[in-house]
Amino acid sequence: MPGLFHEQENTGRKGFALCVLHVDTSTVEKDHSAVGQLEQLKERYPGHVYSSVPLVDVFTGKDIEEALEKLPVAHISEQEGPSMSNQSKLDELIASLASASSRADVISILRTKLIIRMAQKYDCEGILWGDSTTRLAEKTLAETAKGRGFSLPWQVSDGPSPYGITFNYPLRELLRKELLAHANMVSPSLTSLVVSQSATTQASTSVRNTTIDDLMKQYFESVEENYPSIVANVVRTSTKLEAPSAQATDKICRLCSLSVPDGLFGIHGWGGDQQEAMSDSTDEPARGLCYGCTRSMPQSVSSLP
Amino acid sequence: MPPSPCQLCQTNRALILRPKNGHKLCKPCFLEVFEAEIHHTITSNNLFHRGERIAIGASGGKDSTVLASVLKTLNERYDYGVELILLSIDEGIKGYRDDSLETVKRNAKQYEMPLMIVGYDELYGWTMDQVVEQVGKKGNCTYCGVFRRQALDRGAARLGVQHVVTGHNADDVAETVLMNLLRGDLPRLSRTTSIVTSTPSVTASPNSNTPSHTNIKRSKPLKYAYEKEIVLYAHHKSLDYFSTECIYSPEAFRGSARALIKNLERVRPSAILDVVRSGEDMAKLVPGGGSDSCGGACGVRSKAVVPETEDEEGGCGSSAERSMGGEMAAMEKRLVHDEQAAENGLETEVTLPRLRELQPHRQTVRMGVDGRARKQKAQKGPAQTPRKLPQQKMGQCERCGYLSSQAVCKACVLLEGLNKSRPRTAINIVGQEDEREQAVDEAVNAVRQVSIAAD
Repeated sequence: MPGLFHEQENTGRKGFALCVLHVDTSTVEKDHSAVGQLEQLKERYPGHVYSSVPLVDVFTGKDIEEALEKLPVAHISEQEGPSMSNQSKLDELIASLASASSRADVISILRTKLIIRMAQKYDCEGILWGDSTTRLAEKTLAETAKGRGFSLPWQVSDGPSPYGITFNYPLRELLRKELLAHANMVSPSLTSLVVSQSATTQASTSVRNTTIDDLMKQYFESVEENYPSIVANVVRTSTKLEAPSAQATDKICRLCSLSVPDGLFGIHGWGGDQQEAMSDSTDEPARGLCYGCTRSMPQSVSSLP
Repeated sequence: MPPSPCQLCQTNRALILRPKNGHKLCKPCFLEVFEAEIHHTITSNNLFHRGERIAIGASGGKDSTVLASVLKTLNERYDYGVELILLSIDEGIKGYRDDSLETVKRNAKQYEMPLMIVGYDELYGWTMDQVVEQVGKKGNCTYCGVFRRQALDRGAARLGVQHVVTGHNADDVAETVLMNLLRGDLPRLSRTTSIVTSTPSVTASPNSNTPSHTNIKRSKPLKYAYEKEIVLYAHHKSLDYFSTECIYSPEAFRGSARALIKNLERVRPSAILDVVRSGEDMAKLVPGGGSDSCGGACGVRSKAVVPETEDEEGGCGSSAERSMGGEMAAMEKRLVHDEQAAENGLETEVTLPRLRELQPHRQTVRMGVDGRARKQKAQKGPAQTPRKLPQQKMGQCERCGYLSSQAVCKACVLLEGLNKSRPRTAINIVGQEDEREQAVDEAVNAVRQVSIAAD
């Protein structure tokens, strides 16, 4: 995605100002985009505001301290409390996640959170996401698979987001392969600026390292090949889902910040939950995480951004 | 490593790793937990009521065999007070159904349940073998699915039961959720995620005293049970079931979605349940009210009875041949066509699709075009009218009286096509008569005559 910001070719007309933001996830992700590419982008398209922030910055801010106070005591960390550095909070958070899918999921939520916060800090009116049709289709199925079907109206639609800032997906009508072809065809070519994604879509040899997002990426890569309209149709379909009208009483998930209908946090209390059929249903009821986030983060963690 | 003890009883050696949550259990505890969960599903959704006569859609496969076994056990253990009957459909597939029906007959003895078998040949004048001979292996599942749905209802009507339970498991439901996202069919997504569906009672024909087959409730007590656990249960209970899969290939979308579900399960075992949960949640977000008859106000989750249409659960879940074949390609073609039409500002030209494509796609096409139109509107300004998906209006088939959103039901449309190419037989079985019993009798006679004629 970061590689796609350059679609905003500067036409000389100054109807808008762009802030180009890169989130550096190098401390927690292997396949991260390099900061060097941002420099190239800057050279190519001067005149915008460029910045790169490390993911750990998601822990900076006043709401963090509030969140920290409310949190259950962690069992992992000895050195908890405000004295703990943000980096160790992030490391602890990521280390507590059992699977590659959960890590990828949480990192992506944190990244979104940080982008929103930075956009608000820069007084931006909206956020332009680089998601292609293919990416939005992947997201639709991936979020469905993660148990976050309830959140789809907020994940794929243009317009006001629940975070109080407008989201737009200007590339939503274009397939990934079209974007790559375009990057290759324009002169001078943009290919060197585009973060290579092919590495991640290679079928991972071990199930351990495969994430739900990887699976969907692989899946839609093949669908896009032969049935591009089906890809677009998935996005059209999920865009049709209507966000429930916000209730003042709605509770917000502490991780993804989406409102949870009926305040039904966690993975219990619905038809598919048969734990109560068994004797030991003493799982802490209200950790304040939505269904999908609870799946990714079953253990309690000392600090969340 | 020393053998670990069962996580529940702490005494026996753990022999089973539960696919659903990784718990290590001993055999008795696993069986116990599995049954307790089904019991929980039944009671928390109020699926049954005392004195109810319930038909179990029995194919002889693992799902319905486990369902029959568990329901018998639970009915005795918890005194549901329901009467269980096995109802089987004979599609007429040699080398598959004839053998599996033998299994069902044995099950009927083992579980001491009455059994009724309803055949496609007597209902429609066609066996699936004959249909496949006529239409080929591709697309025959459409016929089978549409016919089965009606056949189950007709069988239930004959038995005089108002409730049919089927063996659909969590994998099937998850698969259907993904499949309907891929197909862009939100109304169906919302219907199929509901644990109870019912065909709404259309004006019951006054001159008939037989229970109306348009008013039959369906439920899926195994909706939250993993396929793998069903297999484990069948294995450890030494149930007698038939494991060969249908010899005809399944529809491409389902195959594609099924492969995806299996991969997801490998990466995160809870994913199957998570997709089911997502499906239930999304059903509430489908514009036009979707499934939730109480409007979400009653706060009871996923308990609404949802009206069903004639072709739900088309797939029979076989995994025989997983090609991404014709069906996806056909849809692709149609979508491209819609898109061009929309760009030119034209209405989509309605060409009569070839019969075997007719039904599954009609709705999709309409939605595709609508979706496009809506989106263009939405881009112009924020003032949006409430979005509505095409709502199906239920009526009765003018030929056979079966519930249908069209003037003529899908089965009759399909039959018409089949019968056209079989001119000598002059069968018009499903239809003409209001009273189904009579229609069936005539059908049987007609079939006899056909076979005589064939001889």
